Formats: sequence, structure tokens, C-alpha cells
Amino acid sequence: MASSVKTGHRGWFPWVKKNAKMSNAEATFWLSQFLGKNLRVHASDGRIFGGQMKCTDKDRNIILALAHEYRAPSAEVIRKAVEESGNPSAPVPWNSRYVGLVVVPGQHITKIEFEESTLPNQKSSVTL
Amino acid sequence: MADPPTGHDTALDPDIPNVSFHDGAVSSHVHAAGCNAQASTPAELPLRQSLRKSQSVYEPRIHDITEKFTKASNALDVGQLVKDEYFTLFESIGAIEIMDSKMDSGFLKPGETLEDDYDTLTPVLPEELIGILDQLLCYEMAWHTGYPLSQTLFTSVYIDKLLWPETKALEQAQFYRGMVDDDRRPAPLLQVLRAYCLALIKGCDFVIAKITGRDYFEEEDFCTHTYNRVLFVSLPMDVFLRELDAAMEAMEDTDLQMNDALRTAIISRLDFRKGFLRALDLDLPIEQIAYSWPLALKNLHQLKASHQLGQAVPGAFSTKMQRRLASTVPPRPVVELDFKDALDKLQQLGADCEEATRFVTLPQDPLEYQSFLWYFASRLPPPLAYARSYLATLLFHADVLQSSVSLPLADIKSLVFPSSPVLHPMNWTFSPPRNPMLPKPPRLQMAILIDDFVDRTGQPYMDLWVALGQNRCRLRRMLTHVIIAWDMLQADASLVDTEIQAAAVEAGVADQVMEFSISTWTYHKKLWMIEKILLLGFEQDVFLPDEYAGMYLFLSLIATRRKELLQRVEQHHLMRSSQLLTARRLREAQEIEDAGPDLDSLLAEAEGTASLSLALARLYIILLYLGLLPIPKRPFSSEALRYELRMKPFLALQPPEVPPFEDFKAHTQPYGAYDSPLPALTEDLRKKDSELWTEIDASIKAAKDSFAEVKRLGARAAKAEGVEKAWSKEVQGKLASCVALGVAVAGVKDAVGRKEESVSVREGLGVKVEVPESGMGKRYAEVWVVVKVLKT
Repeated sequence: MASSVKTGHRGWFPWVKKNAKMSNAEATFWLSQFLGKNLRVHASDGRIFGGQMKCTDKDRNIILALAHEYRAPSAEVIRKAVEESGNPSAPVPWNSRYVGLVVVPGQHITKIEFEESTLPNQKSSVTL
Repeated sequence: MADPPTGHDTALDPDIPNVSFHDGAVSSHVHAAGCNAQASTPAELPLRQSLRKSQSVYEPRIHDITEKFTKASNALDVGQLVKDEYFTLFESIGAIEIMDSKMDSGFLKPGETLEDDYDTLTPVLPEELIGILDQLLCYEMAWHTGYPLSQTLFTSVYIDKLLWPETKALEQAQFYRGMVDDDRRPAPLLQVLRAYCLALIKGCDFVIAKITGRDYFEEEDFCTHTYNRVLFVSLPMDVFLRELDAAMEAMEDTDLQMNDALRTAIISRLDFRKGFLRALDLDLPIEQIAYSWPLALKNLHQLKASHQLGQAVPGAFSTKMQRRLASTVPPRPVVELDFKDALDKLQQLGADCEEATRFVTLPQDPLEYQSFLWYFASRLPPPLAYARSYLATLLFHADVLQSSVSLPLADIKSLVFPSSPVLHPMNWTFSPPRNPMLPKPPRLQMAILIDDFVDRTGQPYMDLWVALGQNRCRLRRMLTHVIIAWDMLQADASLVDTEIQAAAVEAGVADQVMEFSISTWTYHKKLWMIEKILLLGFEQDVFLPDEYAGMYLFLSLIATRRKELLQRVEQHHLMRSSQLLTARRLREAQEIEDAGPDLDSLLAEAEGTASLSLALARLYIILLYLGLLPIPKRPFSSEALRYELRMKPFLALQPPEVPPFEDFKAHTQPYGAYDSPLPALTEDLRKKDSELWTEIDASIKAAKDSFAEVKRLGARAAKAEGVEKAWSKEVQGKLASCVALGVAVAGVKDAVGRKEESVSVREGLGVKVEVPESGMGKRYAEVWVVVKVLKT
């Protein structure tokens, strides 16, 4: 697993504490890397918003520009698709729509993902 | 943008990585293509097309950064923002807040589903069909009154099915897409509904085309947004008429079991739709338009009478449509308009359009056109955006504008150049000398000067007409801009005038040409517009009661200037007439004679306006001294600043129209400040024959006489023959205002006279004044605010 490798790697440098509090400067720098980058923000009702990050603050409110909303198909639709195809793992598309500029309030965010779009042999410009 | 592209089914596209999302995955991990083929939920996240294009080149990697992000944002200071440097606070205000039910259209309440599962193929009862058709008409009229389609017609599930996904051929525009089992094929009544909806949609297309073809103001007048739906733009009208005909035939089929009343009700609705679509047609020949509206509206009473047969089908309309139509804005409520109100609106729309069709029959005279536009805009209730565009389309129709004589020139001629050597047709027959160094013959010079000036007038003239085609509020605001253009035109006109004068001297006709004739015409037009701006200000309650005195005084000043200008023109006419008579040029003398009543009417009208506004100004000054008008508290403004604000549109004009504030103050406060007047005021108020009172009475009498004269001269002289009814109503209103003003003045005079000598005039007068509201039919003329004096 990628995650375990990473944790192990950290162990080599004892001064990088896993749960250390970040300084304000570090945090600002780290967050600024994602400005203009594509994030996928999961909301507490299960929807996912994908768009360019424009702004964030202490409460973890995130403003996304050019955002699309993705929603899992309802159980009813999945049931129908399975019935029709007879295949219990029939693929069902997610519903998506363009929502433009949105702000996802921090308290409703359950997960934040960074969508890295570099070429395979290109060096990532973002420190994760 | 609202809809994802169709056929965006990622399941069919092997290039797209399957990505699943499972809750509780906190550790950072990298998703790669195919890494979770056995995901528990077989759901896919469709990726946006921009990413898909280069899919083969790279694979996006997804990193979970939740934990670190949270940590980092915790480390930020309160109020600190990490933001894109080009992203402004202003922009952020426009962001939609997710999970806020008021803003987030995708927010679902517990148990709420994203979309309705209303089946558009379920057969409907005849009652339900009537209910749906009537509801559609309500939404259509709500749209006409200015609401967007997303809050009105596009909430219909049926219309959505017809329009989306987009089809190329009309046959494919059904309540279903692709193939459908025979037993599911729409029943005849659904076919009728489809025909009606198709014609309705095409009608909307015509409406949008008509309105966007003219000057209109999105959101303020009308919403033309169609949310990426194509309203059958490319299909000709006859296919829609055919659909309606087929539907009517189907309804008349006796195999269709139905109550006769219901059958008639449905047929009358189809019939109405057919007539309405025809009337809306953009290509209807101009000779037929006059008949199209009465035909379209002939059976509205049948619709009204049979409305109660219908049965509402609430499921056929859904707010949820907005989620797909207008996904980037907060959800907005569906606009509900009663069927009765919708029919009233429809009736009004038809009546206004029918009135507009009379435009083509007007005598070919720019001033007649101007009157028509003015009175059309004054219609109550105010014409809807469609009706105004309808008239504007006729106004700017090639057949109207391409008359043999230029319209501005006809306008100029009628005021300052009747039988004038400047406009003599002979002037246009000279050819310039071969040698360009030689001077041109003076008559040719005049022709060239006039041609150039008429060209120069074109744009300001057009601007005036465009402004006259707007709603009343916008008309007032636009006129304040139009006068600036006319002001510049006037400056140019005075240059042309000197050159014309020089040419006239050279041609030996200087005594036959009025000095500064073209600038007189331009100035007259400009003053007329300033008067209209002020009058519209009263009509729209822009001014507060304590400002009436000053504004009517200013109006009186402007009207007096116009009157003096017209008196100069009249003198010239008289002089010209006697010149021609002595020269025995009787035909030309007759021409001037014929223009006489027109000028008299203009003069009387200017005189009436000046006198009536002066009388009103004087009454309001007295009321201010008596403390009978409400004066709002204005802690942050001064009289001088307020004056500047009111005069702002006119401050730049040349010659200056706005008197300096000191002058204005001296005239509006002749007895000093309103709350501490000079003692002379009390004396003058008590004396019934003091100048204070006699002057008002004289002004009222002069106004009454002038308006009576305007009335006697008639609509023809006022160049309002085409709108005689509205015109005479207005003149009648002015006369009635004069009478009402006389009554009000007498009321105040009596109240003051009845008071004991010892008490101050301000206290215990025993009367109060009531300012009639605008637009409620409480004023004899909307622009003339005459207070009512009531005993307390």
C-alpha cells in the first residue's frame, strides 16, 4: 500500500513528526499549492464537487470555480439497471451537472481529494 | 452549460478509469486505472470532457488530502484567506453555498428525490388535459410579464420532454425518445397536448425573436434566456399549424368518447393557439397584421367560460426542472399567475398589439408618429415588452422609414421652413461648377447644407424614437441622455445656420429666411424633451411633495422658453405670409396658412403648460409656508445639494437651462425660510386681493384658456390625429386639473381668511391637503399633481 510506504518513509526523519502542528507559514504555503488545481470535495450528503480551488480559510470552507456536481445514482435506478441487464455489477453512470462557482462550507466536507494531472514522467509540482 | 452532454456514459468508454468512492477511506492512497475493479458499488464518476481528450497520454492521480488539509486550515488565522490573487471578494459573493437549501439547488430534503418520476406517457383525462393547457397559458403569460422560462413554462415536464434531448426533426420531438412499445404509444389526448405544446414553443420562439430584434433590456423587461434549449428555431410555422389541424381533427373524431362540453373546450383551446401563433408570426405580411389580433383573441371568452371544466395536474409541472435548467443559480420559486389574470394579460397584449397595427395607417408625418409613440407608451396598464417591440418593429419597418421625404426634414420643414426658399426643390437641381476652385451657387450650397444637416440629425432623431418605444420609467431616464445628443446637435445647427444665412444673402433671399431657423427647430425639440422628462418625473412620483413647488417652477421656466421660441417662429410665419401675399404667390401663402393651426396648437399647448405649472408652483409655495406639506427629515442633505441632484440631467446643456441656486431659492422662498417667514406673508395671505392670490388665479385662467384653445384646434392641428381618443382624454385631463386647482386654491384661501387676526397663520387652519397617488386613477392627469384640500 502506498500509504504504508509513505509512513515508513517519514520514520527516517524523526524531526518530521506525524501529527505535528503546522506553523501558519507552512500551512499557507502548503494550501496555496492547490490554488487553481482541481480538487474533489465530498460533501456530507454524498455529493462530490469537482472544480478548481479558488479560496479557503480557517473553517476549511472551500470555494471551487467551474465546478461540477456529481451524485451517485439512487438505489431505485441501480435496481432497475441491474434488473434490465441481469448483471449484478452493471455499471450505472453518476449524475453530473455544471454548477459553476460554489462554496462548500467546512462543516459539510467529509473528504478532500487532489486530482493530480501531470504526465507520468513529469515531476509533481505539489508537495503532498 | 446546465446539462451534461448526453451519451456521457462512462461505462461504455474503456479509457475512463473506474473510480469508486468508499467512505471511511482515510489513509492517503492513489487511485489508478483499474485498481479497484471489484468495487462494492458499481458506480462511475463521469469525468469532464476536457480531461478525457488527453486520457491516453496521462492518468490523473487522485490523492486524499483530507487530513493534511484540515490540519493546515486549522493553522490559519481567523479571517486569513488562502486565495488565488485574481479571485476577488466581489466574485466570491456570487458563489453558491452548498448544503444551504435556499442557495443549493442540488440540496435534497430527507426523502426527497432528485427528479420527478412523472410519466409523460400515462394517458390523461380530458379534464386533466384542459387543466394542463390552462396552466401552460398561465405560465406563458407570466413569462411575458418578465419572469424567466425556468420559473414558468420550462417547469412543464411535457415541454421538457419535447425539447430535451434536442431533436433534429419535429417527428422526433415526442414525449418519449427512441422506440416505444406499441401499447405505450401516446393516446390521442396526449397527441393533442403535444400539438399544443409544440405550437406554444414555436410561439415563444417568435416572441423572443421579435423582442431581441429591437432594443430591450434583459431581466428588466423580459427574459430571453432559453437555457440551451432550441425552440424549434429552424422549423417553419406551417408544420406547427399542421400539427394543430391534425389535433383538431383527432378531437372531432366521433370515435373519441367524450362529453361534448369538454370536446368543445379542448377544440377552442387549439383554435386559440392556432390564431395566436399566426399573429405572432414574424413573416406575416404588413397588410394582414391588423386582422391577426382580433382573430387570435376572438374566443378568449370561451376559454374563460370553460376553465372550470379543467382539473389541475400538479405533477405535470415541477420546480425540480430548474436543477437542470439553471444549475448555476439558486433555486427560485415557480411563478403562479391566476388563470383570470393570465387571460387579462393576454387580452391586454392582444389589444396593445392591435393598437400598434394602426401605426401603419397613420398619415406620413413624423410628428404623428411621435404622438403615436408617446400615447402608446402612456397606455394603462403599461404595454408589455412584446407589444412595445411589436410597435417598434413596425416603426422601423422599411416601408415606414423609406418614405419619399426624409422624416427629420419633414419635421424641420413643418416648423421653420414652410414655403421657404431654403427647401425649394430647385435648389437640388443645380450642379456644382466643374472647377472645384470656383464657389458653388448659393442655392446649391443651401441644398448641400440641408442634406448634411439632415444626415447629422438621423442618429439623435432615431435615439428619440427608440427612447419613446421604451417603458415609461426607462423613457424618462433615456430622454435625459437623448437631450445631451440634441444639445450637441444644436451646437452644430447654429454653425449650419450661419452658413445658410450667408448663402441666403448671396442668393438675395435673406429676408425670406428666419434667422437661426435650424437651431430654433433643434432647440424647440430639446425643450419639448426636457418638459417631458419633468412631467414624467411627476407621473412616476420621482419628486416628493415638498419638491413640487421647485420642480413645477422649473417646468414653467422651460415651457415659457419654448413659448417664446414659438412666438418668434410665428412672427416669421406672419412675415413670410404677408411677403408672399404681396408677391401674389398665393399657393405658397396658402401653405403657410395651412401650417397656422399646427403652430397655434403648439403655442397654446406651451402657454398652457407654462401657466398651469406656474400656478401649481405658486400654490405649493403657499402650502409650504403654511406647513401643510409633509417634509421628510433629511439629516445629511442640504437644499443646494438636492437642487443640484434634481438638475443634474440639465446642467451640461447649452444654452444653460438651469438657473443658479440663489435665483431658484429667491423664487421658491419669496418670503424667506418656510418655517420662519417674513411678516409680509401673513398680510398677503389674509388679503384676498393680494398679488399672491391674484397671480395664481390669473395663471389658472390663462392655462384654462390655452388648453381650451388646444381642444378647439383639435387633434389634427396637434398632430395627434392617429391617437385622437387618447389625445382628447389628455387635454380633458389638463382642463380638469385647472378646475381642480382652482378649487384647491379657493379652499386654502378660505381657510386662511377664516382665521382670527391674532393667531399665526400656520396653526389650526382646520384644513389638510391630500396628495393624490400616481397610477391609481386619482389624478385628472397623471403628470399634473393637484392636491385636494380637505376640512379637518
